[in-house]
Amino acid sequence: MTPETPTEGSAPGRDGALSRRDLLRTAAAGAGLAAVPLLGTTPAFAQARRHGVADAGKLVIGAFEDGAITAFEKIIPVFKQQTGISIQLLTAPYDSFNSKAFQDGQSKAGQYDIYIMDDPWIPQFAAAGILEDLGQHGIVGDAGFAKPFLDLGYWPPRQGPRIKGFENKKPTLVALPTIGDLQTMTYRNDVYKTAPKTWHELVTVGEAAMKAGTIQDAIVFRGVKGNPIVTSWYPIFLSYGGKFFDNNWKVTFNSAQGKAAAEFFVGKLKSLAPKGVAEYDSDQEGAAILGGKAGAIIQYTGNAIKSDDPKLSKEVGKLDFAVVPKQAKAIAQIGIFIHGVSTSAPNKDNAITFMKWFATDKAQTALASFGDVPVRIKPLKNPALIKKHRLLPTVLAQINAGAEARPRTPDWGAVESILGTELNKALVAGKGGGDALDRAATQATAYLKRQGYYS
Amino acid sequence: MAAQRTARARLQGAGFDRFLPYLLLAPAVLLVLAVVVYPLVYGVQTSTKFYRFGTAISDVGFAQYRQAWNDPLFRGALWTTLKFVTAAVAIETTLGLGLALLCVRELPFIRTLRMVLIVPMVITPVVVGIVFRLIYASDVGLFTSLSGLVGGGSIGILDNERGAFWGLVFLDVWEWTPLIFLILLAGLQSLPQEPFEAARVDGAGTWRTFVDHTLPMLTPVLVVAIVLRSIDAFTTFDQVYVLTHGGPGTATQLISIYGYDTFFRFQQYGYAAAMLLMVALIVLACAFLGIRLIRRQAATA
Repeated sequence: MTPETPTEGSAPGRDGALSRRDLLRTAAAGAGLAAVPLLGTTPAFAQARRHGVADAGKLVIGAFEDGAITAFEKIIPVFKQQTGISIQLLTAPYDSFNSKAFQDGQSKAGQYDIYIMDDPWIPQFAAAGILEDLGQHGIVGDAGFAKPFLDLGYWPPRQGPRIKGFENKKPTLVALPTIGDLQTMTYRNDVYKTAPKTWHELVTVGEAAMKAGTIQDAIVFRGVKGNPIVTSWYPIFLSYGGKFFDNNWKVTFNSAQGKAAAEFFVGKLKSLAPKGVAEYDSDQEGAAILGGKAGAIIQYTGNAIKSDDPKLSKEVGKLDFAVVPKQAKAIAQIGIFIHGVSTSAPNKDNAITFMKWFATDKAQTALASFGDVPVRIKPLKNPALIKKHRLLPTVLAQINAGAEARPRTPDWGAVESILGTELNKALVAGKGGGDALDRAATQATAYLKRQGYYS
Repeated sequence: MAAQRTARARLQGAGFDRFLPYLLLAPAVLLVLAVVVYPLVYGVQTSTKFYRFGTAISDVGFAQYRQAWNDPLFRGALWTTLKFVTAAVAIETTLGLGLALLCVRELPFIRTLRMVLIVPMVITPVVVGIVFRLIYASDVGLFTSLSGLVGGGSIGILDNERGAFWGLVFLDVWEWTPLIFLILLAGLQSLPQEPFEAARVDGAGTWRTFVDHTLPMLTPVLVVAIVLRSIDAFTTFDQVYVLTHGGPGTATQLISIYGYDTFFRFQQYGYAAAMLLMVALIVLACAFLGIRLIRRQAATA
């Protein structure tokens, strides 16, 4: 037997050197590994991946992080006890959850059964067709819901202008209100002996208190560009009689009423607010009112309820609630939590069971007992709940006085960003609110035109 | 064995050896195609489509590139980004060079100083943004607190356009000067000692030695540091997102923030892709110029 003479590239590398065969094997293995991710794009794999796995006793709810969701979590064991269905609640920061949920719906990934959304997301999600028509599952929006809250679950909207492609479609219920949330006024009862009913009253009494040294600032608000400043300006704009769009989506926020509201906001109100208010967001405005520096604030319920918490507020007992001040009217902004079923939900039946259960007065009463604001009228009037949750009558009073949601278009975010940038510039300058609205109107019109609104 | 050898010979004869290198490279090439080329091609494809409700509804060719070029917000964001990159990188380079010249000497405290200097660079950008937001805040911030100690009022950095812009530049300088410092320190330590010894013998002063020897020999390293930092600064996002989100007004609206909002918040996928590809081309051109500069320097050295 002739001993094998290793030839180059043929024999195993006994001396540690890599042979050609070894290299070929390694290359094949490498190619195999590299090909694994590509397998995911083949129809069979994609099909398997596309849909989450259904589980008879499970329900996956996605939501954005918020204090109100922390209270909502407490209702999960109650639901499980009554139905045997366990809920997995997946939360993410606001912007991040919006992207995740929208992509989940579009790609039909089935990661979530129910999305808990901010109500301005409804046009975006519903127009993309990723929310189930609840009517097909026997869910109806009954009269027990607060009407302004319930209206937000319909697409296309039941009132107001409709975006292109949905002009003649019948409104369908695609989401139900989850947690009530709207702006109300919180004020110092040692500064304002009675709740200021008008903006004029808020300004004059507040100014006098500042001069007397009772309070550092008469009012505090959010001045940061974008959504925060527009949210703060919103009730003033509405109370002055402003409208954002006409029925054909023509921009109308730079009307005489709008400009008067903007000038008042960037001029007079700024002079009564903390220095540096142009950089204030919710954390800073919250610290100002709860820390005793500010006399009044228009804020959402989630922040208002902190007033009675001694761990968070230095002014327990000194802060009262009321409807927002009026000019022509007293209208606040609504911004509720709202939930819909994903069209690609793997546990659709469980999702529907949850929605029906959660829409009852009983479940809403339980929710309110954990600290959230219910979305149905009966719990809002429940005396036992009111004893624990003194903001509830003010919420109901604000609903009755006037509460409006943001315009029902998926493009509101972009318009709000334009408006919020220009308003913020005027706030920094302390003047030019009307000019800011004109500049914003030009930009918003150009933007909407590009999106096909006027063709 | 003989049969194996024959088969191998046949394969070699068929030109197998010619294809072997390509075969071996195939996995890496496939990977690069999947993670680099495909996203790029997909990005270009996306930029030619008009999206509505998250779905491409029409092909618009390169119209969105023209639209971006005519968009005052895009041009404004680009200009702000260029100003930010220029200011931040210029200050960082000057400080980084100064610190590197200091730390290249063997002084007793230098080891500790070197370690302390690189700390900002290893902190997560979002955390840096949060910390600076607290420092700059006009209600509870550091400057307001210091002002309060001497009976002054609140000091706002982020409530005015100039303050916010320079506040952002200062944050970037604080965080990234260590990177330039480290690169230049390594460059200085690798310089040959002979020219410096000769200069010393000739009686050249510190400044003369720096201008005639240190700076020319360090230039290639300096250019690398500037190019790397500029590319990185061009894509700054996290800190601005946390600190100002582009405000007040558009004072700190860098192109990354405008692109993010356009894509994620306004769902204009095609337009955002067009904008950001244009930015990528600009950055690429800058990097190309930088590399050419280095090569020219190396050739003349």
